[in-house]
Amino acid sequence: MPVLTCDNLQRFLGSAENRVQALRGVSLSIEPGRTYAIAGHSGSGKSTLLYLLGLLDLPDKGSIHVRGQDTRGLSDEQRTALRNEHMGFVFQFHFLLKEFSALENVMLPMRKLARLSEADMRAKAADLLDRVGLADKRNRLGNHLSGGEQQRVAIARALANDPALILADEPTGNLDHANADRVFDLLGEIAHTRGQALLMVSHNPELAGRCDQVFRMQDGLLLDPS
Amino acid sequence: MSPNLQIALRFLADRKRSMLMSLTGIMFGVAFFVITQAQTAGFEGYFIKTILGVNGMVRIEDRIQSTVRSLDADPESSFSIGVGGSVKYISGVQHPHVIQEALTNIPGITASSPVIRGNAVMLANFREYDVKPYGIDLTSYANVSDLETQIIDGSLKAFSDNPYGLLIGVRIARRLNLSVGDSILLQNAANLQRFRIAGVYETGIDQVDRERVFLHLPAIRTLLNQPIGASFIQINLADPALAPAFAKRIRQITSHSTMGWQEREKTWLQVFSVLRISSALTISTIILISGLGMFNTLVMIVIDKTREIAILRSMGYTRSDISRIFMFQGGIILVLGILSGWLAAAAGTYTLSKIPIRIRGIFASDSFVVAWDIQHYLWAGIIATVVVLIASYLPARRAARLEPGTVIRGSSS
Repeated sequence: MPVLTCDNLQRFLGSAENRVQALRGVSLSIEPGRTYAIAGHSGSGKSTLLYLLGLLDLPDKGSIHVRGQDTRGLSDEQRTALRNEHMGFVFQFHFLLKEFSALENVMLPMRKLARLSEADMRAKAADLLDRVGLADKRNRLGNHLSGGEQQRVAIARALANDPALILADEPTGNLDHANADRVFDLLGEIAHTRGQALLMVSHNPELAGRCDQVFRMQDGLLLDPS
Repeated sequence: MSPNLQIALRFLADRKRSMLMSLTGIMFGVAFFVITQAQTAGFEGYFIKTILGVNGMVRIEDRIQSTVRSLDADPESSFSIGVGGSVKYISGVQHPHVIQEALTNIPGITASSPVIRGNAVMLANFREYDVKPYGIDLTSYANVSDLETQIIDGSLKAFSDNPYGLLIGVRIARRLNLSVGDSILLQNAANLQRFRIAGVYETGIDQVDRERVFLHLPAIRTLLNQPIGASFIQINLADPALAPAFAKRIRQITSHSTMGWQEREKTWLQVFSVLRISSALTISTIILISGLGMFNTLVMIVIDKTREIAILRSMGYTRSDISRIFMFQGGIILVLGILSGWLAAAAGTYTLSKIPIRIRGIFASDSFVVAWDIQHYLWAGIIATVVVLIASYLPARRAARLEPGTVIRGSSS
């Protein structure tokens, strides 16, 4: 079963004379265990599409199904719960909570889902940090890590609830070349080995090209819908 | 610990200084509220205690005579029609023993005592001084007043043993340079009588201490030439708060003007009430200002944490969670503020009660009088809660309404 599908997504942004159609009818399907990139020029609608698929925004027309569930008509609470359970986000700016340590940041989504005991959450968070190479920095506060390290913590946090889909908006945009490679490889490895899907927006054509499938966007439409 | 509470604590710790200021404001507001209420209620209570010990809980005074006029309906008929009239007050209680006998059948009345009062001139040490003599039956009067505890020199026994014994107020004693054992004359019209001072009393009420003298009933009857009756009957009740109801009932039974102490001392009671209310309102502004400070701090936190809020929302934290995080912050400060305020209030009230201050005039006290009442603490807590809830709710609502997509998109671009 696809992790996520969308059909004829349309979205308008702004109002009155400034109203523009950011998405003009986008349809796609995301399968588990594969990596996808959304590429295109600035203003093509990439981030708008990503936020709609991540249920952070509502489409004006069209439908989104997450693991077979139609999200139309869901309340904000229900959409938020879906995000908590099935999605993990990695943004260009890591957005770690600086008052919390790396370990505690990773545990935040788990605390909301509330399916594991405190000890199990800690163990799982520690394991995730180990996977991203930060085992020895788990107790450092979020703002006491380097940029690359913070982004890796953000990836670990995105994986905390074993989401079916990882959504990444320019995850390497704020990193140097070496760290960007390292982060991308990590995301790709996680997606392929854990059966999770990765949907990434990227300006970087080289990174986009390393994904299993690339959705190219222009003026709110997919150029070669598949 | 719930994740929302944990996040709230961490956000609070990040803004320690400003939250500490809000906390301090609430603490002081709560403490001052309780202390001022304790003080005003204390003085009011002490005044009531004093006045009840001097003038009693209920007084039966003048007889009420209705002057209803009537017309015969028909010259041949025995029916008549009342055509209205008025009420006439006949001074004093003609048959106090009869009324006292009737009062013994009313549960709740613990004691009664007849009193005759009048005017006289005291002649002592070559000086004349206007006094108000009160003729009492010592045994029953001791049950309707605090005379026993008001004696500061001499004794009630000395007064009791001497039919011409006299108790004078401390202000009279000082004014005329009199002391226990001195002999004085009381004059009323043509009657002149010698008395010996058996005791000096002090009520603290200026007006009483400088004009009232106590003598035995038979002595005052002779002085004032009043062989029968009494000026009033002073009554004690098991529950002073029920004085108005008893006064009404006694009035109906005895057809005498009867007044409870609440009506009698209405003016002073209103002064205390206004004082209490105005101090409560004034001190509440401290709590209000602290609440405004907290509102400001929370709004700044919302602005400061906009991205964090968006990230939490993207992770699966609902609008309610975000709202709770901010309400928790207010709640934590509220609880800490109230608890520390209560502690400070108790310490402050205790300290205040030990401060020496000489008060004379409407009562006698040599230190601040305070009332320990849990209601003061509860009201302070309630006011602080209302203020802080409002101060927290608005920023919490603002935080919950943030659209994560808009925030994150704005931060990334």
